[in-house]
Formats: sequence, C-alpha cells, structure tokens
Amino acid sequence: MTAITHPVRREADAPARHHTWQHIVRVTRLQFVDPWVLIWTPAVIIGAAWLVSIVIALIITRVAGLDPEQMRQGMSYSWAVLSPFWYFAAVGVQAVGTTLQFALGIGSTRRDYWLGTTLAFAVFSAAVAVVFAGLRAVEVVTGGWGTSAVVFDALWYGDLPWWLAAYTTFALSLAVLVIGAALTTCYLRWRVIGVVTVGLAVVAALLIALAAITWLQAWPALIGWFAGIGVTGVFGIVLGIALLAGIGGYLVIRRATPR
Amino acid sequence: MDDSQPLYLQLAREIERQIVEGGLKEGDQIPSTNELAAFYRINPATAGKGVNQLLAGGLVEKRRGIGMFVAPGAAERLRSQRRARFADEYLEPLLAEARRLGISLDDLTTLIHHTAGARPAGQSSGV
Amino acid sequence: MSTSTMTAPVIRTHRLTKRYGSVTALDHLDVTVPGQRIVGLLGRNGAGKTTLMQLLTGQIFPDEGEVEVFGERPAENPRVLSRVSFVAEAQKYPYSFHARHVLSVAPWFFADWDADLAASLVDTFGLPLRRPVAKLSRGELSMVGIIVGLASRAPLTFFDEPYLGLDAVARRLFYDILLADYAERPRTIVISTHLIDEISPLLDHVLLIDRGRILLDADADVARGSTTVVSGATSAVDRFVEGRTVLARHSTGPLARATVAESYDAVAAPATAAGLTAEPVTLQQLLIDRTSSRQGRTS
Repeated sequence: MTAITHPVRREADAPARHHTWQHIVRVTRLQFVDPWVLIWTPAVIIGAAWLVSIVIALIITRVAGLDPEQMRQGMSYSWAVLSPFWYFAAVGVQAVGTTLQFALGIGSTRRDYWLGTTLAFAVFSAAVAVVFAGLRAVEVVTGGWGTSAVVFDALWYGDLPWWLAAYTTFALSLAVLVIGAALTTCYLRWRVIGVVTVGLAVVAALLIALAAITWLQAWPALIGWFAGIGVTGVFGIVLGIALLAGIGGYLVIRRATPR
Repeated sequence: MDDSQPLYLQLAREIERQIVEGGLKEGDQIPSTNELAAFYRINPATAGKGVNQLLAGGLVEKRRGIGMFVAPGAAERLRSQRRARFADEYLEPLLAEARRLGISLDDLTTLIHHTAGARPAGQSSGV
Repeated sequence: MSTSTMTAPVIRTHRLTKRYGSVTALDHLDVTVPGQRIVGLLGRNGAGKTTLMQLLTGQIFPDEGEVEVFGERPAENPRVLSRVSFVAEAQKYPYSFHARHVLSVAPWFFADWDADLAASLVDTFGLPLRRPVAKLSRGELSMVGIIVGLASRAPLTFFDEPYLGLDAVARRLFYDILLADYAERPRTIVISTHLIDEISPLLDHVLLIDRGRILLDADADVARGSTTVVSGATSAVDRFVEGRTVLARHSTGPLARATVAESYDAVAAPATAAGLTAEPVTLQQLLIDRTSSRQGRTS
C-alpha cells in the first residue's frame, strides 16, 4: 500500500496569482525557459555567419592578395548580419504553432499568451539590438576583426550612430517575430484559407499602391520622401507594421484553436 | 472484487467475514476508509459506503477522533444473521441440486452424515 | 475550498454542440457533474470524449449550447483555468523542450503545485528529465502528463487517456498513486478511457458517451450492477427474457446468451431456478452492449 504523505507546498505570494500582469509575465518567462531557442541558436547562426565572413575576408586578402579597402567596400553590402532573421521568423511561427497549445493546456488565456509572447519578442529584440551594436563597435575598433572584414557594419549600419543602429535592429527583429506569429495565428483561426487571404490582401494592397503611384507618376516624389524620412523613418514604418501585426494578432488569437 | 455486487457491499461482506472468523475481534480497530480504499484499490467514497453499511448494522462503532472499532457482540450478531439465512443460502440450493440428480431425501441424509463423519474432528466448531 | 463547491455542480453543460464540418462531435449534450468525485468518461474512439474535455477546458469553442465550469464559462477565463488541469492525449510541448522544462514551467500556472510530489513521481516512474520531449517514448510522454496532472493539485483535473504507452505495471502504479493522492486531497477528477474494467473500481460516477450523446450518466455502483447476462439452453433463455428489456442476444444453435437490463441481484435467483447461469456485466461489456444496441435508442 502506497502512503504518500508530505506537506503541500504553497507559493508564498498566492494572493497575487490572479493579477493579470503575473499571467502575462509568466508567458514571457516561458519563452525564455529553453536557452537554445532564443540564445544559443541565434548565437550559433550569427557566429557561423561571422566566421564565414572572416574566412572569406582572409582568403580574399591573404590568399588572393586583393586590396582590403576594395573588399571592405564590397563586403559592406553583405547580408551576413541579417542571417539570423530568417530564424527569428521561424521562432515567431513556432511560438504560436506549438507553444500556444502548451500554454493553453496549462491554463493560460490566449490574450495573456499573446501579450506575454510579444513582450518576450520585444525584450529579445532589444537584447539583439544591443548585442549587434556592441559587436559593430568592436568590429570598427579592431578594423574589421583584424582582417578588414565587414559583418556588423554592413548595409545601412555603416553610417549610423550606435543608438540609431540599435533602433533599426530592434525594429526589424520585432517585426519579423510578430509578423511570423501573427500569420500563424491567422492560420490557427482560419486555416490555410485565412493565411492565403491575408497574404493575397497584402499583395493586392501593395500592387494597388504600386499601380497608383506609377499612374500618378509619383515615383520621384515617393523616393524623395523616403530619402527625407531617412533610416529613422523607414524603420519607424517597420515598427509601425510590427505594431499593426501585434494588434491584429491580439484580435485574431482570441478565437484561434490550436490543432 | 468483481461486478456481482456493489463494491461497497463486497467490502462490508469481507469485513463481516473477518469478524465472524475471528480475524477481527471485538474492540479491534478496522483500517481507515483511505487505507481500505488503497488496499482494495477502490474509490474512497465506495470504501466509506461499505463502512457506513457496517455502522448501520451495528457491527462497528465510531470512536470520535480515533477511528472505527468492531462493536461488542458483532461476531455473535453476524453468526445469528447467518444462521437465519443458512436454510435459504445453503440448504435450498443443496436440495435443488439433489433433486436434479435424483438423490432422495434419505440418501441425502445418509450422505450428509457420512461426509460429516469423514471430516477430521476439530475442523470447525459447533458442527 | 468553500463548502459551496461541494454541492454546486463543478461541470454543467446544456445542449452543448460541436461540429467539425459535416460531423457532429457533440450533439446537444446535457451533463451535470457534481464535485469531489472520480468520474469516468467512457466511450469508444471518436465518441466525443476528447471534444468534451477540450470544450470544458476552453481549448475549443462550442457551436451551440452552454458550458459551465465552476459556474462560469471556461474559455479565456483565468478564474476557471487556474483551477483546472488538463492532461491531453496528444499534448504538444514547445519545440526543443526537455521534460524538466515542462516540470519547471507548470508551477507558475498552478498555485497549489506540489513540487515534492512531482519529484517523487519522477523517481517512481523513472522519467528521464534531461531528454527532449520529442525524443520521449509514448509511455514517457504519458508520464509527463500524469505528473503535471497530479502535482498540479488542481480542484478539477482532466485526464484524457493518460495511460497510453504505459504497460500494465505502470498503469497499476498510476491508479494506485491517483487513488492515494485523491484520498489525501479530494477533488474532482475526470478520466476518459477505453480500458474501462481496469479503472472501474476507482470510479464514483460514470458518463457513457457514444457518437456525441450521453448514453448513461449514473453512479458507478448503479452502472456496474445494472445489467446481467443469462445463458443456457436457447429455449429457456428465450422464455426467461420474455417481458424483460433485452440489450443483446447471441445464440449458436442450442445455446444462447442474453443481456437483460436488470441487476444481478434481481435476476440471479430466478435465472438459476430456470436452469440458466447468470453473470453480472462489467462496465466494459456494458459499454459494448449499449453502443451496439444504440440503433433504436433515442438519447
């Protein structure tokens, strides 16, 4: 006969359990429980991209003996720094694809799940922004990691002060994560039809916008406007899209049903 | 434990059997409801019903804060209950089977004496 | 727990309906489950057991009708969900989670989580904590679910076929642990299963569901004793069952067997007198008989 006798352990702050903020934050914590998801895997990806860039730079300068300055010009168009962002999209999709069902199973509400997860995305994106900005600073100081390679100082980062660079990283990372999650939420609510509809709607809106701009011969004005708002403005739009996706996801998830 | 009778009745019958056979003597404590449930692997509410059955029949008594104990006179009460049921439970089927096999009442009586005589003395008290 | 939860039904549905395309998974279901019971939710595969549990835990939404848990609608309701634990049959876990991650996260969601119990269950079952959930065997996956369900100590705990992949020894262990924990901490437990006879002695209450409808909603003892099989010579059997409700009948030439909707106690003596053998019907056989004799029944 098994006699299980032991005291019941009660969490000390039991009365606070029903506060909504607690419910949101525990979902945020949930997203960070497995360090491989948000720490090691992105680290490995960016580490690999960095390593590949260094090796290429070494080959070009030391082996082929080409001019480092010219190579630097060329490498400043390298997409290596964006390599983890494809993975971030997958993270966004998985967050809703599998983790949502788990969270619902242990008693979270969909609303709390969405808020907690987008909060996790924001925290994570801020961390990525800071790390990339830091690595970029090291790259500049070491003259391209001692090999004239360009990894983090590439693309639009080249001319920006560190805080502006971090802002762009944050905006892009958050947008990719939230859009991935929001699209998956549309899938859970409306299945394939839903995702296709949303996708088609977005494409249609873009096409209409392009057609309108062309018909109005407004391209020069548009390009001028983009130049005017600069990097800050462009990534502000990216953040705006992230916000829209966040609100959209919150509205759609309330009746989403994991399969 | 099977499905021939409600489980709580089977539990009660089992405890009654132990009382009659002397395994549980008057004044002995019977296991708690939870212990009985775990032992027989049945629901505690079912075990409780079985104990209540015994309580209602005056076979066990509750001593508050301590537990359930076999009531004084329980064994004798059970024996007289079983004596009253003896004819129905044992003799009727015996007679029916004898009839079916064509054994006459005289033959049956002889058989009974023979079987009783063949059993070693002291097998059970009072026969 | 206030005394009012002891008398108010913990689960109540009214004309609860759920459809998937052209299939009606639950058909205007009316169910009332009082608290502090171990309830068996019995039925064939596809009968609607999982759908009912998913509706009761707010995982899916009803198409028609009402569902109330602790007096409120469960979906998106933290007041209800914090008191409910659901161990799903096909539970998905976050990609790359290890077993230990699940057990470290669950306490955040259950105020009454018993870490000592969880630890001792991990020991008892021999669960490999450091293994990724994706690499766990079916039995080990079930163990994770069982540990979460039991250690949560939630006032209402659902187990949906929790023993899949567990061998008979592990199942026995589960039943014993469940019983011991229930005795120490009474609450409402709903278990869906098709291994009915194994779990039958543990049940207080039985809900038999078939094709989205409730066939039987009764106290377990009543359900267990409610039908009897009489067998013997075909002519004697047919004579005996005249005027009685017959749920099933089989015959091979001179021998026949019939299931009557009467308790063993009521039928045993007259059956024996008629030269027939009477046997009580197990819950498992009851389910089989009731679901195969459903053709003419209205729910």
